[in-house]
Amino acid sequence: MLLSFERLGWWKWVLVAITGLVTAFLLLPILFIAALSFGSSQWLIFPPPSWTLKWYREFFADPRWLESAWTSLQIAALVTLFSVGIGLCASFALVRGKFRGRETLKAFFLTPMILPVVVLAVALYAFFLRLGLNGTVTGFVLAHLVVALPFSVLAITNALEGFDKSIEDAAVLCGASPLEAKFRVTLPAIGHGLFSAAIFSFLTSWDEVVLAIFMASPTLQTLPVRIWTTLRQDLTPVIASASTLLVLLTILLMLLVALVRKGFKS
Amino acid sequence: MTQASNTAMLAPPPRRRGWLPAGLGPATPALVLLTLFFVVPVVSLLLRSVLEPSPGLGNYAELLGSSTYLRVFLNTFLVSGLVTTVSLLIGFPVAWTLAIMPGRWARIVFAILLLSMWTNLLARTYAWMVLLQRTGIVNKTLINLGLIDQPLTLVNNLVGVTIGMVYIMLPFVILPLYGVIRRIDPSILQAAALCGATKGQALRRILLPLAAPGMAAGGLMVFVMSLGYFVTPALLGGTNNMMLAELIAQFVQSLVNWGMGSAAAFVLLVATLALYAVQLRLFGTSQMGGR
Repeated sequence: MLLSFERLGWWKWVLVAITGLVTAFLLLPILFIAALSFGSSQWLIFPPPSWTLKWYREFFADPRWLESAWTSLQIAALVTLFSVGIGLCASFALVRGKFRGRETLKAFFLTPMILPVVVLAVALYAFFLRLGLNGTVTGFVLAHLVVALPFSVLAITNALEGFDKSIEDAAVLCGASPLEAKFRVTLPAIGHGLFSAAIFSFLTSWDEVVLAIFMASPTLQTLPVRIWTTLRQDLTPVIASASTLLVLLTILLMLLVALVRKGFKS
Repeated sequence: MTQASNTAMLAPPPRRRGWLPAGLGPATPALVLLTLFFVVPVVSLLLRSVLEPSPGLGNYAELLGSSTYLRVFLNTFLVSGLVTTVSLLIGFPVAWTLAIMPGRWARIVFAILLLSMWTNLLARTYAWMVLLQRTGIVNKTLINLGLIDQPLTLVNNLVGVTIGMVYIMLPFVILPLYGVIRRIDPSILQAAALCGATKGQALRRILLPLAAPGMAAGGLMVFVMSLGYFVTPALLGGTNNMMLAELIAQFVQSLVNWGMGSAAAFVLLVATLALYAVQLRLFGTSQMGGR
């Protein structure tokens, strides 16, 4: 009875009310920020006295915002590329390898996921101080790669475990070289795994703040670092417009994922 | 056809490179990357905690012996515990409802859940900084409703951190709990009803115990994630309730005290790994994930 919506009686309405409130709690902050980004009040008064595009204009007119967004994009693209590539190779070893300790190796590949990011950030900061990699794109990419790789390994090993290796063997029997069989049979078949790996890697890097705060220099900042340093000074509505643009990007990515999932299913 | 299978049979067995276990080769790039930029930096950081400024356990003695730092540890556990408790209390009814509500509505709630989860962390934290400020919408609404006369201080204190972190952690409780409740056989609860159990009894003695593994797994994950959280406490918390991650950052960035900073990092690392070991022992690797 507790697991049947119709037979819950008045409990049903309590549950629906709680869920409604929590859903509002999850959604409202995002909606308010979007609304305030169009409001004319510098102090983010709600409802705004009048509507304006001034904060978006300020965002696009300030080269520092655009530069940091461009830096973020470059870093995230490189991280995605390497994360999927390295993750794909590692997944082949983890799924197809015949050596002992595969589970341990997988657990090792996933540890950056559970380690508090701040510990890794401080450790890499100290390490990069010696190598002179702080404030460089290489430093950012390496740092983000360490935290993005686990997501790739998870997504791709999952896909590869679900793929029947005998199909690849059949291609080899039919005359394809082992490498050709991998590229033309296996890779398309685990495409959904590669796609998830790419999306997760991209978002991990694009949204990453803690490592970035430590890696950043006054001349090389990612978008999150720029938001962070601005936030520490004041709550300017320009951040509301930047946040709204980020939310739009999130929605676009979610739609893309939904579309691609549908494509892989059919 | 026969020829093809003959060639396959005649093909030499996979070549073994003497020093590499069979099939490990492709893992090399990942191994090199993680060894160089994960293991080496973390290990050398931990070494600094016992080597700087002078070899010994001085840093740990200072860290665990001073009331200032103990307050930070205590506060870290307090905030994490509070966030976990509130998330579970709110998350359980939502996961329960999601598991049984009509699919169309559940899909909408899921979409909102994912949207909030995928939205940039700083954007979400900024939203709460704006909503909770003295002249913010939350205070205004409460005043307009006549519930309070003076605006409440909702940021730079425990209230702000808790609200901001519960907001971030809720999906990590709801999603695993949803999975667990979804797998419970409804006929068990029907049987309870047939045997005369009231709704309250069925909830206490059947649904909650059956959902307990999910609550424990989600709760532990949120607790561990909260322990090392940096961004939200730094922006929504006050100086009086600093958390461990901020202390580490402060030691390294402002005070340039690497010995103390790495000792604090090591404490956080040990706490995190110990709790994950508990989680692995209890639930296996399947529940691992999230940051």
